[in-house]
Amino acid sequence: MQAGRGFRFGQLRSLGRLWPWLLLLVALLGVRLSKGAPLADAYALLSRPFWPGSAQSEWLRSAQQIDQQSQLLQLQSDNTRLRRLLQLAGADNSLIGAAVISRQTSGWWHQLLIGKGSLDGVSVGAAVLAPGGLLGRVASTTPTTAAVQLLSDDGSRVGVWVLRIRRHGLLTGLGTARPVLRFLEKDPGVRPGDVVVTSPASTLVPPNITVGVVQHVDDLAVPASEAVVQLSAPVESVDWVQVRRGGR
Amino acid sequence: MAALHRHSWCGATALMVPLLTLAAPQLLKLDGVAPAWAVLWLLPWALVDGPVSGTVAGVALGLALDSLQLGPASELPALALLGWWWGRIGRQGPPIERSFSLGLLALLGCLLLNLSLLVPNAWRGELGWSQLQTLLAQTLLTALLAPMLCSLQLLLWRQQTAGPKG
Repeated sequence: MQAGRGFRFGQLRSLGRLWPWLLLLVALLGVRLSKGAPLADAYALLSRPFWPGSAQSEWLRSAQQIDQQSQLLQLQSDNTRLRRLLQLAGADNSLIGAAVISRQTSGWWHQLLIGKGSLDGVSVGAAVLAPGGLLGRVASTTPTTAAVQLLSDDGSRVGVWVLRIRRHGLLTGLGTARPVLRFLEKDPGVRPGDVVVTSPASTLVPPNITVGVVQHVDDLAVPASEAVVQLSAPVESVDWVQVRRGGR
Repeated sequence: MAALHRHSWCGATALMVPLLTLAAPQLLKLDGVAPAWAVLWLLPWALVDGPVSGTVAGVALGLALDSLQLGPASELPALALLGWWWGRIGRQGPPIERSFSLGLLALLGCLLLNLSLLVPNAWRGELGWSQLQTLLAQTLLTALLAPMLCSLQLLLWRQQTAGPKG
């Protein structure tokens, strides 16, 4: 009996020594459940003096105007052009400029951390644009930062279509710089050089945003044709991005 | 007996791991892949402070890093296992000091960490060349950096745990 009591007291004493570590583990579980909100916000606060300057923002704006002009040239039907014009009517107010404060474009995760979060109106699922076209979508937000899942990430799936032939497909990230476009049908008639834009049928991203250019086509793929797409937005060099306010 | 975890500032250096993961300095990348900062911090910590502290540190690092990454993949199990394994190695044999030994332990640890991320992908049939490329680049880079960074940390941690000599 005495031995049993001693053992119990010994256990209690060791528990007493462990409680700071248990507290730390609970705190870290909190960090994990909040998707790293304290860490990401602390990093944003510490790195704020090193964020890109406003000149980059001006450059981004002018580059985006060029991008929009090229898109207008690509639109072939009146119906699509009218839809695009309607979108542009409120476009200026629906974009939030944000600095890229962390970048992982190789390795297991392809993601960006941007310096605007839920306090600035960034929401999960919002499309993230850069000069050249679509970069990805917001996957999670903290009050002052947001994590962006790039189109090249393993888990990225976005509905797109090839402008010339008007065939829909699913742009799937492979963890490489070039995602693959999986068509819904065999032999869709796509060829290298075709421009890929976001699909008007997609519920995740705004329609007709440039995504990239078809680089290689595999017509022998099963169950349907596949194409490797070179993304048009230079994710390695872009310092400022624009986020669509309110998701799609 | 080592009690590195009693020096709170020593534990606070673990914050460098998520910060370096986020900052991802371009100079320290191989083929666009950053080293496994968690491995480089955990190896000397566990060697000095033992298996229990190593496991707790591995779990803590795993939780912090998982919170920063998208997707369901987790580094926590591999880091906890590495913390325990390196802690046992540090407790049982003679003190590990050679650069080659540190590099080899870091290489094996990084390999295990990457395999723990790669195997679920392979299970789902999503294994690609880019993932093998990531595994090779990160393992090589971590093993090359370990002799430099881990030696310094080992020296520092052992000085802290040795205490004043009378």
